Amino acid sequence: MALRGTRIYLAADASAVTAAVVLEGVKGRRLGSVAREPLAASLLVPGAAGANLVDPDAVRVALGRVLDVVGRDHVTLVLPDGIARLVLVEPPGGTDPREYVRFRLAGSLPWPAAEASVDTLEAGPGRVVGAALRRTTVAEYEQVARAAGAQLERVHLAPLMALAGLLRARRRDAVHALLGDVALCLALLRDGALVALRCRRRDRSPGEASRLREEMRRLSSVAGNGQARVDLVASGSDASRLLPELGGGPAPRLPPAALPSGAEAGWLGSLLA
Amino acid sequence: MKRQPDFSTTSRAARTPSWERVALLACAVAALFAMALALRAREEARAAAARLADVSREVAAAAARRQALEALVLFAGGQALLAEDAPPARIVADVAAVLPADVRLDRLAIDYPRGGALELMVVARDAEAWDLLLERLERAPHFREVEPGPEARAAEVRSLVRARWAPVSP
Repeated sequence: MALRGTRIYLAADASAVTAAVVLEGVKGRRLGSVAREPLAASLLVPGAAGANLVDPDAVRVALGRVLDVVGRDHVTLVLPDGIARLVLVEPPGGTDPREYVRFRLAGSLPWPAAEASVDTLEAGPGRVVGAALRRTTVAEYEQVARAAGAQLERVHLAPLMALAGLLRARRRDAVHALLGDVALCLALLRDGALVALRCRRRDRSPGEASRLREEMRRLSSVAGNGQARVDLVASGSDASRLLPELGGGPAPRLPPAALPSGAEAGWLGSLLA
Repeated sequence: MKRQPDFSTTSRAARTPSWERVALLACAVAALFAMALALRAREEARAAAARLADVSREVAAAAARRQALEALVLFAGGQALLAEDAPPARIVADVAAVLPADVRLDRLAIDYPRGGALELMVVARDAEAWDLLLERLERAPHFREVEPGPEARAAEVRSLVRARWAPVSP
């Protein structure tokens, strides 16, 4: 029984658009229906600067198809990995976390800081994950979603949703690889808190798994302060392909047949965790 | 529940669905209507309180008047006549009804606290007219205790007659 309501999540990434109905009830969240529409290569190229939608009409049509399945009201738009700058910070007491994140990221943004839309996610005692996106980029996704008929209520970011799920579920101590189509985030969790975060664009050339494995181990040894071996966990785009080589474990999976084989959405799995 | 990030480029108010805006407007109208009703009820309560104060004052005045009248009744030995029961015009009419043609009424005094005691200063043309007046007064049902004053019968009769006017039971 969904006592708190029904929410629709609409995500767009380079390989596909995905829509899911999430029912929020007294026993937590559960997946209603889900729809996925593959996108041809190079129709949508997530990036921090510049236009992301190479063919807005094709993306709009794909969004419309998945919305036909799940509905169009109270939609949360989920923006893909690779369009934001993320940072894990400890804001000084008495400061506005968003303003502090804006200050910290201002010098590294590939666009004027005044054009940045900044928000934060609580990541443990005194810590927040800050994200900065360019407003014109957000508007680009909002416009195509509205053109497809979505009644937008909120705009979220896939890696932040995935991190929120990890923190909410108090996942075991591990380095989690949150994989998007074009970017990834490595998050080291210890005692239910996020202690390190590293985000970068993906290099999907052969050997990606081994490179990723080494990077995750470096992160765990540096941020882990020389502690014992830390598990490696991967979720998201292509996670099932990379896991055997990573030698790590899978993140909790979606219900069977929720999505076609190999088409995983890390944000959705974390949302339901 | 923790606050979730939101990167929308439009304000939340602008994204509010139209039906929610209508509901919000309806709530605002209902609140204004309720406020107007409350103000009106407050004004009515004030007016009612003012009316109550007026009536209370009237009741207090009536009570004071009643006390005064009761004191008067006690003073008069319980025989006071109320002007409401015997208006002066009625007494004058009753006196006029018994006056013979040859008798003139010069003065009439009505003493209500003393139970309607009357003093009639009359002038009769002759003794016959005077006697007729006294006879009529004694026969009239409204007049009691008729006491003729000293009379001079040389020519016209000028005298003071005392009597008491009393209501007649039907």
